[in-house]
Amino acid sequence: MNSSDIKTNKVTSDKTKNKKTDRFRLSIKSAPYVFISPFFILFLIFGVFPILYSFFLSFHSWDGIGQMEFVGLSNYAYVLNDDWFWESVKNTFIIFILTTIPQHIIALSLAFVLNSGFVKMKEFFRGSYFLPYITSAVAIALVFDVILGHRSGLLNAILIQLETLPPFAFLFDSVGLDLPVRWLAEARWIRFSIAGLVTWRFTGWNMLIYFAGLQNIPNSLYEAAEIDGANKRQVFTNVTLPLLRPMIFFGVTMSIIGNLQLFEEPFILVGGDGGAGRAGMTTAMYLFRTGFHWRQFGEGSAMAYILAIFIVILSLASRKIFHKENDL
Amino acid sequence: MFTKKNIAILVVVILLIGTMALLSNRRSSDTAEDNGATTDGVTTIRVAAFPDQDSGFEAILDDFHAEHPHIKVELDINDFDNHHQALLTQIAAGSNVPDVANIEIQFVGDFVNRGGFVNLLEEPYNAGEFEDDIIPYKWAQGTNEATGELIAMPLDVAPGTIFYRRDRFEELGVDVEDLNTLEDWIEVGLEFTEGEDDRWLFPDAAIIYEMVRRSGEEQFFDNDGNPIVTSDKFVRAFELAKQIRDLGLDGQIGEWSNEWYATFEEGTALAHASGAWLGGHIQNWMAPETAGKWGVTNLPDDMYVNWGGSFLAIPEDAQNKEAAWEFIEYVTTNVDVQINQFEAANIFPALVDAFDHEVFEESSDFYSGQNVRQFWLDSAKKVPAVNTNRYDTIAQDAVGAALTEVLEEDKDIMEALEEAETLIKRRMR
Amino acid sequence: MKNSIRGSIKKSLLYIVLFLGVLITFFPFFYMFVLATRSRAEIFSSTQTLWFGDHFINNLQILRDSVPIFRNLFNSIFVATIGTAFTMFFCALGGYGFAKYDFKWKDKLFFAMLATMMIPGLLSIIPWFIMMNYFGWMDTFYPFIIPGIANAFGIFLMRQFMESIPGDIIDAARIDGCGEFEIFCRIILPISKTGLSALGILTFLGSWNALMGPLLILQSEEMWTLPVALTRLADSAGVDYGATMVGASIAVVPIIVVFVIGSKKFMAGMLEGATKG
Repeated sequence: MNSSDIKTNKVTSDKTKNKKTDRFRLSIKSAPYVFISPFFILFLIFGVFPILYSFFLSFHSWDGIGQMEFVGLSNYAYVLNDDWFWESVKNTFIIFILTTIPQHIIALSLAFVLNSGFVKMKEFFRGSYFLPYITSAVAIALVFDVILGHRSGLLNAILIQLETLPPFAFLFDSVGLDLPVRWLAEARWIRFSIAGLVTWRFTGWNMLIYFAGLQNIPNSLYEAAEIDGANKRQVFTNVTLPLLRPMIFFGVTMSIIGNLQLFEEPFILVGGDGGAGRAGMTTAMYLFRTGFHWRQFGEGSAMAYILAIFIVILSLASRKIFHKENDL
Repeated sequence: MFTKKNIAILVVVILLIGTMALLSNRRSSDTAEDNGATTDGVTTIRVAAFPDQDSGFEAILDDFHAEHPHIKVELDINDFDNHHQALLTQIAAGSNVPDVANIEIQFVGDFVNRGGFVNLLEEPYNAGEFEDDIIPYKWAQGTNEATGELIAMPLDVAPGTIFYRRDRFEELGVDVEDLNTLEDWIEVGLEFTEGEDDRWLFPDAAIIYEMVRRSGEEQFFDNDGNPIVTSDKFVRAFELAKQIRDLGLDGQIGEWSNEWYATFEEGTALAHASGAWLGGHIQNWMAPETAGKWGVTNLPDDMYVNWGGSFLAIPEDAQNKEAAWEFIEYVTTNVDVQINQFEAANIFPALVDAFDHEVFEESSDFYSGQNVRQFWLDSAKKVPAVNTNRYDTIAQDAVGAALTEVLEEDKDIMEALEEAETLIKRRMR
Repeated sequence: MKNSIRGSIKKSLLYIVLFLGVLITFFPFFYMFVLATRSRAEIFSSTQTLWFGDHFINNLQILRDSVPIFRNLFNSIFVATIGTAFTMFFCALGGYGFAKYDFKWKDKLFFAMLATMMIPGLLSIIPWFIMMNYFGWMDTFYPFIIPGIANAFGIFLMRQFMESIPGDIIDAARIDGCGEFEIFCRIILPISKTGLSALGILTFLGSWNALMGPLLILQSEEMWTLPVALTRLADSAGVDYGATMVGASIAVVPIIVVFVIGSKKFMAGMLEGATKG
């Protein structure tokens, strides 16, 4: 700080000298404002204003065509008493649990294995696992739609083949798998199907986050642990995991935010109405449907605010769980 | 020293200008197109529709253009849901609105009572002169309840019917004429599906509900606008659907899915219930190679129902309203034009005079020589004056969801229907 | 000896698992290409097809009859490229402002901006739609280019990258008589390449894959981006699934090609981005 103050002075004097030669030249005082202003102006228009306007709308009844009417808190009461809304919350959480846990466990293990040096072709694996993240959600959901088909789907065809083997037959029996499974047409399977697609798509992304985190852990720590006679598993649980906490926090928080806004995948897989029993209707989809299908802009806005509160609460909870006080 | 800076600035400026130019290019060319179109004497109108209405329009477009050389029609076709969804957005936004909007019966109550369309009874449209020519209940459906304005001009009706596989009935040795009640159908269904994994009476049990709930004059609401989804009609519809499901007579294959199309091609489902228009889909693209294998019969239990049908309306923000009306008048009030659409895609006339046309005496090869047209005409005449309501779409969503719960999760029928009623009432505000 | 045998068994097991993972990752893409060469009857028959058929040209024809797919491809590329360029430039500018200057309200402004990152984008989808409508931006590309500049995450990311730029370089440039904007263009932008590419990649992908916004805004089929075109295709009865898969391949292949070519740089940028983010 001190040194920069001195430098600032020097530069300012330098600036006065040049002032006449270049009228458009920014002074060091005004430059930062000029630099951040395009962002902040647009941010006020497209970022802040909609948030406030949404708040305003949430107290009104409006279909976008007719008259707007002030209705007080009744939109909030409406949403909180809406069974379909709570169902969508339930769906979202089930899908969230079904996908987040495997996603992060697989991602963490992959990152650990790929970082540990005894695997060749690291870059190939890393790149391959990351591939799903970069590809179009819609395109991929369309392929999964075929793979998960009822009578003509590939997954069922494979499972039917496997069923001929006794151990698998027993396994399928014990989990109540009745082949061919209607992956996308039966309420209890729809959430698994969506979670499967989401897991497939985002595991690579989480792996990358963890990989980045692992690379920041100095090797000396591992060496020290090995000198102390720790084996690989102990190193992982005692050295790696604690140090990765902030990364896990980041990853899980991103998953929370992403999952509560899950839209493309279920929208394509089961359609805008959420499929059988609305099992695939996430809160984001329900919000979309309320706002743009039923044209209940007010109710939709109230729903958005309630959803936002959920996200903030969950993000804070994730911070409590994965964050130590002295971090960040 | 300044060159790099200049280059950077230059790049940014070019990017900016280029973007603006490219972005606005479309808009300016758009308006140019509109203006250009009118200046050389030809007005281009955009007609937004859903399949298979487009087949009907395509069949008459050449004639229309010949008779109205100053108008050029552009068809804008979207699938059923997206078409109505987009229409709603366009009306609300007042941008990119079509000149003519095709509205299906399920949405007509909503659109007619929402606003955003012109009153066709007024100058220069004067649709009132055609009131006596159109099926009365269709006229009522297109009219705004509160103001009495005609918003949507009736285009077609759709008598409900059953398409059955003739070849399958022959294998079974059953005469379809002997089937009068749903019990009869169930009996044949049991015979057809016995011991077979991939044979069903209907693709989906929900179709039974669809049949029954469409019967009678009052659909989801009574004529005073109160929901009637807990009435005996709906309970019965649910019970029958449940019965079909429990007997294993359906394939649990939803409509308009790829597996549904396969049932038409492969004849794995004995019968399909729908509006007469479905025949157009089967014949045109779903299963053209099954020609001659189809037959048509009435719904069981003497149900005569309306299953589809559509209207044409002009949005208030449309650019070429008069040309739009010329098109609407042409397709809805001319016997020959209505018949041409009918021949192209089973789009059944809403114009009463068209019923006397000789085309109804012709038999059809696709149905192995059966005179399906006369058959449908007879059923169309027996359809009662069905009502519509602005909350029809919401009711359809809610009751459909309730049915899924009953069929998939064994929910109590009355409980499911009462919940649906609550949901509908909550949204009616 | 025993140990090494156990070790190599373990190792091969590990490789098997890793390759299985790669298989699961690759398979849907492979299957997409296979389906793109198959007719509808073949796709939905009960016998499975795992190898390429001969309906590709036919499917492409059906696809082109249904939607202006190459126009849609162009739209996607156009929107993503221009949007990304704007976002990169303005976020770098803003990030630089935050990273290397001291000014009044700096911390408060930065915190306010960070706080909005917690607010889900969904919150503003309804007012966003109403605004776009009000501006007359329905059925145009503006909604996907202009608001994107106000990208709080982008500013945050760029600030993180630029924090580490030594102040000496900037000061030296000032002594040489460079203006502030010139310093930004000549010195800061070039040395922030990694950060810019990370931001650029993320922005590009976000734009390329976006569905909800374009679904609401882009009404006419010449304006659709690929995800919208694909959604409409999948919805419309009567379009062969093989044709839809050709469309899906068109949406996926360019990205995969770019990814494979620039994989190393891509991953490096992403890694750095993930660390800094």
